[in-house]
Amino acid sequence: MFSNSKLLFDKLLVLCLIFTIVICGCSQGAQSQTIDKETLRIGWTSEPDTLNPLTTISTEALQVLGLVYEPLLAYGTNLETIYKLAESYTYSDDGLVVTYKLRSGVKWHDGEPFTSEDVVSTYNLIKDTGIGQYYQYMEFLEDVSGPDDLTVVMTFSEPQAFNMAQAVLILPKHIWGEMTAEEIEMFSNDAPIGTGAFTFSEWRQGSTVTLKRFDDYYGEPAGPGQIIFVLYGNEDVMAQALKGNEIDIITEVSPLVWEGLQNTENIKAVSLPSFSFHHIGINVCGDETSLGNPFLKDKAVRQALSYALDREQLVNIALAGHGSPGASIIPAGMMEWQYIPDEQMDADLDKANELLDEAGYMDTNEDGIREKNGVPLVFRIMAIESTTVDVRAVQLFRDSAKKAGIKLELSTVDENTLAGVVYNVDAPDWDLFVWGWDSDYPDPGYLLGVPLTSQIGNNNDVFYSNPEYDALYSQQSTEVDRAKRKIVTDEMQKIFYEDAPYLVMWYQDKLQAYRTDTWTGWEETPGGIIYNVTYENYKNVQPIQ
Amino acid sequence: MFKVRYVIKKIGFLFITLFSVLTFNFFLFRILPGDPLRLIARAGNLSSDSIARLNELFGLNQPKWMQYLIYLKNLATGQFGTSITFRRPVIEILQERLLNTAILLTLATIIVVAIGVGAGAIAATRRGSRLDNVFVVTSMVCWSLPTFWAGLILIILLGVSLSFFPIAGISTPGMIYFSSWDRIMDFARHLVLPTITLIIVDMAQFFMITRSALVDVLTTDYIHTAKAKGLSKNRILWKHAFPNALLPIVTATAVYVSLLIGGAIQVETVFSFPGMGKLMYDAVLRRDYPILEASFFIFAVFTILANFISDVIYMIIDPRVKNV
Repeated sequence: MFSNSKLLFDKLLVLCLIFTIVICGCSQGAQSQTIDKETLRIGWTSEPDTLNPLTTISTEALQVLGLVYEPLLAYGTNLETIYKLAESYTYSDDGLVVTYKLRSGVKWHDGEPFTSEDVVSTYNLIKDTGIGQYYQYMEFLEDVSGPDDLTVVMTFSEPQAFNMAQAVLILPKHIWGEMTAEEIEMFSNDAPIGTGAFTFSEWRQGSTVTLKRFDDYYGEPAGPGQIIFVLYGNEDVMAQALKGNEIDIITEVSPLVWEGLQNTENIKAVSLPSFSFHHIGINVCGDETSLGNPFLKDKAVRQALSYALDREQLVNIALAGHGSPGASIIPAGMMEWQYIPDEQMDADLDKANELLDEAGYMDTNEDGIREKNGVPLVFRIMAIESTTVDVRAVQLFRDSAKKAGIKLELSTVDENTLAGVVYNVDAPDWDLFVWGWDSDYPDPGYLLGVPLTSQIGNNNDVFYSNPEYDALYSQQSTEVDRAKRKIVTDEMQKIFYEDAPYLVMWYQDKLQAYRTDTWTGWEETPGGIIYNVTYENYKNVQPIQ
Repeated sequence: MFKVRYVIKKIGFLFITLFSVLTFNFFLFRILPGDPLRLIARAGNLSSDSIARLNELFGLNQPKWMQYLIYLKNLATGQFGTSITFRRPVIEILQERLLNTAILLTLATIIVVAIGVGAGAIAATRRGSRLDNVFVVTSMVCWSLPTFWAGLILIILLGVSLSFFPIAGISTPGMIYFSSWDRIMDFARHLVLPTITLIIVDMAQFFMITRSALVDVLTTDYIHTAKAKGLSKNRILWKHAFPNALLPIVTATAVYVSLLIGGAIQVETVFSFPGMGKLMYDAVLRRDYPILEASFFIFAVFTILANFISDVIYMIIDPRVKNV
């Protein structure tokens, strides 16, 4: 109808645009020749919060900081204790004094010499300000001193079962020594200076973190000349990036994505035991201000709920098989520390029904739900909506609980809201929730310490309070003899398991994957090749030429 | 004279709107259940001293009305505070994200509007024909595609199977840059897929608006008169018809730009693009009030400005707008 000259021009314009884009893309196909073979590229789906070791709470930040900074001792690829800044240490006869002999000739990344003053300063800083995740280990630390440049003496009032020297990263006194608590809380530590095998290069927020090999390192030079951590918005694309040789290894993925990486050329997908579990928490708060359902304070009800839960089914369906059924709060990855109950309160609906019958919960009005004194057994359960495995698990649990005459009402919220509701100390208004715990170190102390009376208002998310349990905790945390300690930790786990304020659903596997054609030397450590307490894998791998 | 009063009145409303939005934003986030420190305490096993100190440093232990006044005072003096999650000034965090989002936004808007309006004009002049039908159906289909799905499909087709473009981030990890030009080209290549995704799903709006506005105009009497007078078809389209169809296009552009500055969250997640969307999403989950307040302040200012500019453009191009 109208003439085409102007319209033709428009069409040509669009064609040109498309043509340019395509040409642009094709011409860069041969990018691999400009990739540095000595750069180790790691993919993750979350980035550090801050590079300040005292204020950070993110696992990603610790991965970076554990390469830039070092503790006195550390974990090897078999989780054995290895020496870092300390080259030897001895205990006094009563176990209260530990003397560390430090390595000589160690330099900070800015060239300053490392001495015992840095160690003393770091420990005192944490002890005096109470800042950070290491403070929890310092309850019995009386004194830290450096009689000479290469010796550190730590004095405790009780022997320590967990040696925090394997955890506390040593900070340079010439940067941190004079800081006040307020300054530390607000310090972003943009240019971390440590003694580790890698120096910090840059952090492009929302994008990458880059470290470079430290040439003046006292130990073996690291395999990678450079490490880049790359942030991906979602794990599907991260898996694609691994397949496309854009990265060499990934930190962790969920079961379905992991399965997509199986049987892929040049990629090895590994499944390793972890130090984590997911659980159903039950409100056992004893205060009369608690708005939780009072029936849950009856142990028979809690145990019945445990018997109604089919953990094998949960692992097979919700986790697609990538985990093991849970019982105690010490996960399978912690090996000999795990207590395995003789009688598992698991997947036995008959027993669940029997317990409830005996305790007087009967379904008098034939509606499928038991009652006592006219009040039905209806409980509210909350799950974090973005943790899809948990939501799936609750849906399955809801069906099994129904068969025991218990009705569960599910609501999903974001994690922050869950925390706000659960940790309301004044009047906790909830019945059940689904959440999880990870242990930072392969030592049972941290997880055992969660349900302490002293942790109410802090970590204790179910308001459990048992003086016998508390006493045993103090006993095990000061017992250096492993065999004796195990007797106490087993007893604790048994008590907690039978009281059933937690229904541990599973211990999930740590699912990771790496390319086999770019780097060699990855060792499969329990807890993870990387993204674990050991940093040795990062240093030991060598590029394939 | 009348137009100046119009502008001043508009600016007055602008400030009132801004103030209301800021107040609303402040209370909106504080009403959400949960708080920024609870999860930090759980993950980091903080001592009660530490928690008390943090409450103090971030003003979280003050009564709400006091926090509100401090918030207003800080905004007025241009201080956006320190992020609770990142422990660094909010301005630093926002700078780079804002820049990335702005680049994506500008690129996407220009191309989306150009293609949408161009195709709309073509379709309008050939309304009823097969080409018109094809255009309409195609744009409807594209508009109905979920953004993240379209993004993932593009990743598979152009990023993985054909390996034309990178699939994530804004730079290639481990790449050695020999010059700034290399760096710019790397960034440009990373922009291609996110931009194409936005074009595909958003182009339809402009197409439909242009097409329907033009169709309306092209059937009016004065266009018939112009044709009868013997004016060329191009002159009729571009000099007489098009300017009258411009008004809805201007409005649509203002709206589109204000939405996009909020960060195309789906595109950012799919393409791991470090923009405002992802930052804000994470900040909401963590209740990082300083970041949320600063981000929303910027959006509010930007949206209000975009609308104000479109009002002014209206005033310039539409002779019917006199003093209001």
